[in-house]
Amino acid sequence: MAAKRTMTLNLTDAEMSVLDALAMRKDLSKTALLRQALRLYQTVEARVQRGDKLLFENEATKEKAELMLL
Amino acid sequence: MVESTTIHLRAPARVGSVQAELRDAIETQQLVDWEQFWRPALAEVLADLDRRGVPRSAWPQSRHWNWKEKAEQVYGVLAYRGFCVIADGQTQGLAQIDLNRFARLPEQSGKPLVHVDYLEVAPWNRPELGQPPRFRGVGSALIAASVQLSLDEGFKGRIGLHSVPQADDFYRRCGMSDFGPDPQCQNLRYFEMTVEQARAFLEEE
Repeated sequence: MAAKRTMTLNLTDAEMSVLDALAMRKDLSKTALLRQALRLYQTVEARVQRGDKLLFENEATKEKAELMLL
Repeated sequence: MVESTTIHLRAPARVGSVQAELRDAIETQQLVDWEQFWRPALAEVLADLDRRGVPRSAWPQSRHWNWKEKAEQVYGVLAYRGFCVIADGQTQGLAQIDLNRFARLPEQSGKPLVHVDYLEVAPWNRPELGQPPRFRGVGSALIAASVQLSLDEGFKGRIGLHSVPQADDFYRRCGMSDFGPDPQCQNLRYFEMTVEQARAFLEEE
């Protein structure tokens, strides 16, 4: 496993509660969830930089909605 | 920094096992090996299959894979990782991993997993290509590395992958659940390993 560095993260109560809920739902530790979020963010950012759009499709209705990333 | 682990492979032509190296990256030397050794070996196999009139449907289904292009496409992206197995100074197997995927099996649906995008062993290690393999256990070592990465990332051993039909039986033997053909991925069968299956697989290894 690659060596890791430690940092202090300051979150509001609301942010911490979202982090707790997501970590629980995804069966991840809070650190693992934040690392996952960073990977996803970098992937999305790279695709957007390339000119791609981020779309969500409702599986039932096939309705598509674009997530605006400015 | 690239991590290296010592593993042991079976070498049918030799006595006992052979020491090999599992590395958690695909580096320039692996792409050089692929170009200099894998491609000519595969070209020889394909020429032989052609001479013998073997139908193309029975040719290696990963024969079009270009590891140089695959490595270039994901360079610098955190979500993508690579593994390689080195023995006798040569690359014996490669795997490319995506950490941005989520599980589909009902008992773990929506939870993150390690997705093995591509896994291939050197042509001389593939018994189905007609010759006795130089090394056995390369594919299993790469699957074990993927399971270990899943544990390290906090994904508890969950992995998933889409298999080319010639590899379906290998993934079944690894103890993965067969989810059936995936219309969103060229109808390749999707396989997934649960936390329990991962534990059982590592105990077997």
